[in-house]
Amino acid sequence: MMPDLYVAVIIKLEPDFSEGNVSYNADGTLNRAETKSILGPHSAIACQAAFLAKVKYGARVAVGTMGPPNADIALAQAQQVCDADELHLYSDRAFAGADTWATAETLRAGIAKMEGSSSGRSMDIVFSGHRASDGETGQTGPQTAVKLGSTFLGNVIDYDVDMQRRVVRAFRLITLQGFYDVVEEVEAPLPVFIAIDPTYKASFNTVSQRLAFEKYQKQAMGKAATVKQQIKVFNAQQLGTDPKLVGLPGSPTIVYRVEKIPKAKASRMAQVVDGSDRRQLAQVAAKIHEVLGGMVIK
Amino acid sequence: MTERYDVAIVGGGSAGLAALKRLADLGKQAVLIEAGRQAGTKNVSGGILYSKKPKNGRTYNVEDVYSNFLSEAPYERKITKYILHAVSKDKDFAIDLTAAHEYQANFGYSVLLSRLNSWFAGQAGEAAERQGGGIVSGVHVRSVSWNDGGRAVIESDELEHFEVKAVIAADGVNSEIAEMTGARPKFAPEQLYQGVKVVVKMPEEIVEERFGIGTGEGAAHLFAGDVTLGHIGGGFLYTNRDTLSVGAVYHYDSLLDKPAAPGALVNALLENPLVSEFVRDEVAVKEEIDRNLPKEEQLRTKFAVSKLVKTWNDLRDAYHSPSARRKLIEGGKFKSEDEIKSRIEYVKGELVSKYSTKFVTDYVELEYSTKLVPDGKRGAMRKPYHKNVLFVGDAAGRGIFIGPRIEGLNVGIDDAVRAADSIAKAIDRNDFSSMGESYSQQVEASPYTRDMHEIDKDYLKVFLDAAKAVPKDIVGQRYGMIFRLMSSSTLRGLAVGLANMLGYDKLLPLVESEETYVQVPIEIAERLGKAVTTSYKPTIPTLAQRVAKLKYDDDRQSHIKVTKPEAEFMKKMVTLCPTNCYLLEDGKVVLQHEACIECGTCAKETEWRHPRGEKGVAIQYG
Amino acid sequence: MKYEHLYVVIEHEGGKPIPVSLEMLGEARRLMDGYNSKYGASELVVAVVLGNNVRKLCDQLVHYGADAVIYADSPELEYSRNAVDTPVLFQIATNRDLVLKFAPKSTGFVKPRYMFFAADNIGRQLSSTVVGYLDSGLASDINKLAISDLEIKHEHKTKGQAMVYERTLEMYRPDFSGFLWTTILCLDNRNPAIAKEFHPQACSIIPGVFAPIERDATRKGVIVDYAPTFDPESLKVKILSRKIVKSSVDFDSKKAVVSFGRGIKGSPEENIRMVAELAKELDAEVGVSLPISKKPFPVSENVSSTYMTPDRVVGTSGRKVTPLLYIAAGISGTMHHLAGMKESGFVLAINPDEDAPIKGECDMFVKGRMEDVVPALIEELRRLRPALEAKR
Repeated sequence: MMPDLYVAVIIKLEPDFSEGNVSYNADGTLNRAETKSILGPHSAIACQAAFLAKVKYGARVAVGTMGPPNADIALAQAQQVCDADELHLYSDRAFAGADTWATAETLRAGIAKMEGSSSGRSMDIVFSGHRASDGETGQTGPQTAVKLGSTFLGNVIDYDVDMQRRVVRAFRLITLQGFYDVVEEVEAPLPVFIAIDPTYKASFNTVSQRLAFEKYQKQAMGKAATVKQQIKVFNAQQLGTDPKLVGLPGSPTIVYRVEKIPKAKASRMAQVVDGSDRRQLAQVAAKIHEVLGGMVIK
Repeated sequence: MTERYDVAIVGGGSAGLAALKRLADLGKQAVLIEAGRQAGTKNVSGGILYSKKPKNGRTYNVEDVYSNFLSEAPYERKITKYILHAVSKDKDFAIDLTAAHEYQANFGYSVLLSRLNSWFAGQAGEAAERQGGGIVSGVHVRSVSWNDGGRAVIESDELEHFEVKAVIAADGVNSEIAEMTGARPKFAPEQLYQGVKVVVKMPEEIVEERFGIGTGEGAAHLFAGDVTLGHIGGGFLYTNRDTLSVGAVYHYDSLLDKPAAPGALVNALLENPLVSEFVRDEVAVKEEIDRNLPKEEQLRTKFAVSKLVKTWNDLRDAYHSPSARRKLIEGGKFKSEDEIKSRIEYVKGELVSKYSTKFVTDYVELEYSTKLVPDGKRGAMRKPYHKNVLFVGDAAGRGIFIGPRIEGLNVGIDDAVRAADSIAKAIDRNDFSSMGESYSQQVEASPYTRDMHEIDKDYLKVFLDAAKAVPKDIVGQRYGMIFRLMSSSTLRGLAVGLANMLGYDKLLPLVESEETYVQVPIEIAERLGKAVTTSYKPTIPTLAQRVAKLKYDDDRQSHIKVTKPEAEFMKKMVTLCPTNCYLLEDGKVVLQHEACIECGTCAKETEWRHPRGEKGVAIQYG
Repeated sequence: MKYEHLYVVIEHEGGKPIPVSLEMLGEARRLMDGYNSKYGASELVVAVVLGNNVRKLCDQLVHYGADAVIYADSPELEYSRNAVDTPVLFQIATNRDLVLKFAPKSTGFVKPRYMFFAADNIGRQLSSTVVGYLDSGLASDINKLAISDLEIKHEHKTKGQAMVYERTLEMYRPDFSGFLWTTILCLDNRNPAIAKEFHPQACSIIPGVFAPIERDATRKGVIVDYAPTFDPESLKVKILSRKIVKSSVDFDSKKAVVSFGRGIKGSPEENIRMVAELAKELDAEVGVSLPISKKPFPVSENVSSTYMTPDRVVGTSGRKVTPLLYIAAGISGTMHHLAGMKESGFVLAINPDEDAPIKGECDMFVKGRMEDVVPALIEELRRLRPALEAKR
């Protein structure tokens, strides 16, 4: 049966920040060499969202990532989450050092090679996570949407697809600083690009959907042993990217300098103050004002 | 459009899963609904799983349901030694009860339910899928009602409702289905035991060396005497592959009489010299980080030490496990066992010299848990069904407690098969009107049910033979006569017959008493026992530390409602709740549900429900 | 010149600019004053506003530092839709006729030199798409900025030669570990093989890091209206409904959080009132420990529904907060709670019990009961206020 819906997920390989796995250098920077790499947590949630499309609408799922050869780990893990039908790795020295705009170009070219983009189609839905846990810019998703010409919908906490009208209905969680949180219900014709909110939870509300979920999960596990063979690796030439638009040459921005931020976080040594001594309280008040004079570092 | 299925099984414990597998093998469509994130996350067992071959009648054993059980299931060790210890302070008198353990048994394997049930779920789920059914987890059934057609309507917190022709209630000792259908009242304290346990870490070959067993073999040690802190019941220690299950089970009414915190009860066991010697191992103790160092340095050190300690532990565990050792060498990481050993020594050396880490004798706790267990002798449902809902295992109150004999898993599986068979027949005939009664008779015919109502004189003989070394005078006035009777083979038959006529329940108070479980063993230990020397004092975690290790997915709304905040029972819950969820404030009992491990200790006088789907505690070992 | 002026994309709600909009204008003003002085230029801070009935916002923006305001007014812009707003902002950013209305000498204008967005939900995504349309570079979550002439030697951009890039915007963003500042630059490719100009140099700015300028009602500015052209395809994106989820408990944009726990039990209503007072004094958000959200003490309905709610919980079952200042009043410090606040800058605990676990996770431990310490602390803080206003 021909699927009526094609979806893709773009994912990222990221350091594993859990204790016992992460390693830091003497200066407090991440020791990437000693730290394991895994499928980024936001990417994993995006895969769950794509999986919902498979369970509910029988969609074909493709997963793509731009990265070094060992990014196949991320693809293998993604496979387990969403029982992907296609796995792509875009890997080439020419892509290295790319900022988000140059990355978006590579991803655009990669998505164009997926099944859902063949015969003049546009990939119906592309999913990405909200941001990466190391880079954290949150830019790659929206910029890839621009390159694809897809409508961008961010902070999506729930969605469904009207297969007749070929329209996505999404619920977005928008935080308005200093005001309230809003859940916005928005409708957009396909193709769309959905950046999944970190609080997204795929929900399946009938017994039959739950059983379908299990079935595909098992299918995915069955493919786990041979997943690496399933991965198609593309270099720059195979993707047909313009070298001026990808990698460092295609990056408008560069990292110029990295330096230590003055304040650091760690366990603390408490200074004990007698709360009944007014003079000491005055000092506490002064300290509070001093602290609040500094900058917020998040 | 209401979805319809043939059978719903509520509860993914070993009984529910066995029912699912059996129904699938009979070609029937069934859906199993489990509230936990996956099957196994809400199960706790002592535990040993038995397979029996009774002289009269037959039981449906786990290997009858899963033909590949012996070859593929992740059971722990085959128990080949079963020893009862009478203990008092540092004195221990051991009685070899292996014969009692092997009585009419094919085998008894120590198990950790979380991983075992996970395996059952894999097997049963796959079989069920082929029949158009399967397992749905993370769903909490909220109500069972009936429509005009006689179908049961299942409502849950997470899914749209659906209809089924028959239901198997396998939702455990705190069965909500039993309560919401009115099939039986909540169990009374005298019908229950409270079991508490900790899982202790111990590398595989050290287990074997410590307990004098071979590869794949296991030992079970039971404890009676002063460790019970005056309660009726006893302690246990079972060897798993690379862990130990150490715990205790006590009459719930005995605990209500003399409230003691479950943590204190398991601690009394751990502090017993014999037990502490059993559980000891080598442990790395991290040094406090120098606060005068710059903060980045402190953090870097913290992570470095963490990583090294993890490496030392992982390598050591692997080194002491033949299969893990082999894997390391085959995988090319190490060339020989000696190389692994020297690496372990090297890492240890690094930790000591660079970070002043200490290596001491102590024990390592992995998980603390509690569960209520129904006593089939007093609480088994006589007619375990209600309309087209069949009750199995703990939900039907069918646990077996006879002296040192504690069985529940195998009973649940046996019930499950009988229930599945009854349902299959009803589906074939398309007539469910006599299904419940037919199931009830099936259960009545089970040898397990017989054991709940009568004494088996041959079992008694085995037990008495084992206890031959115990001087008669210790046994005291109360049993003097009975003991003399039972010891004589001629008179035993008569005596047992008489006893069975008089009724199990009249004899029970005699046998299950403080005297039997506490005073007699203490006297035996003090008179005949050997002194045990201990090399260290175990560092026992605080309750806060134990709770911190447990994994929770907090449900914002509380699943338990305190309806009688000033009741005496509730005040006792302040002590008896294993995770301190209750506090007494201004004479009223207040609940903080976040650390709840859903044991049911407080269920009797509260509005007690399981948390919603996926919420609540997730047991890692069980 | 081709690239001139600093465009600031303003966000607003309920007819008012949201705080970060004014903060961005403040920083823009400071930067451009320095820029104009250093380079002898007269480039402008241009605020850009999209919305419905937004003309009345514009004057305020001038008072907070804008030299010019471009506004596009349309019912189609009532609520932000990325698909609709992006092309409109692109049109505005590339429209020379608009610029000539407030900067008649900018006859060579192609695109803005610099561009600011807010680093919030809407802004972070809008900045990514708009700067994508403009085919330029973006750095997000910035908390420090500077403009300078930099000598750059880069394998690709300068083909390895040392070149001076004038008027470069240095954009500083804290990295994920919290230890490091990464400075991002958006630079033209001067290597002939890949020659390309990248403007505007754009960034999204973290709320709460910069201060607005003092409001000056005498400031003058040019307010220009723009009639956007909508792509009919983009109008197919429809907002079907908008529900306000809750009165926002805003931990993220506040510098301080004051939390209370079961220590209020002596007199719950009064103690909570005092804590709220303290929070107001510090412009802090109020948090609670987990047990409080279960409403364990009797208080008035108002206090209960405002403060004893799950969305105020700080901890593993609630929110993780990282303010500059965290005050824990009457909180013993369970592991659940500590996990939620231990990354705060400076932690102050108020507790009569020196054995409370919170002591190990705080920088200052004020020993005493809440009912005694909090009111006294408020007084001391108030006493210091005049001196601090003077400093600002």
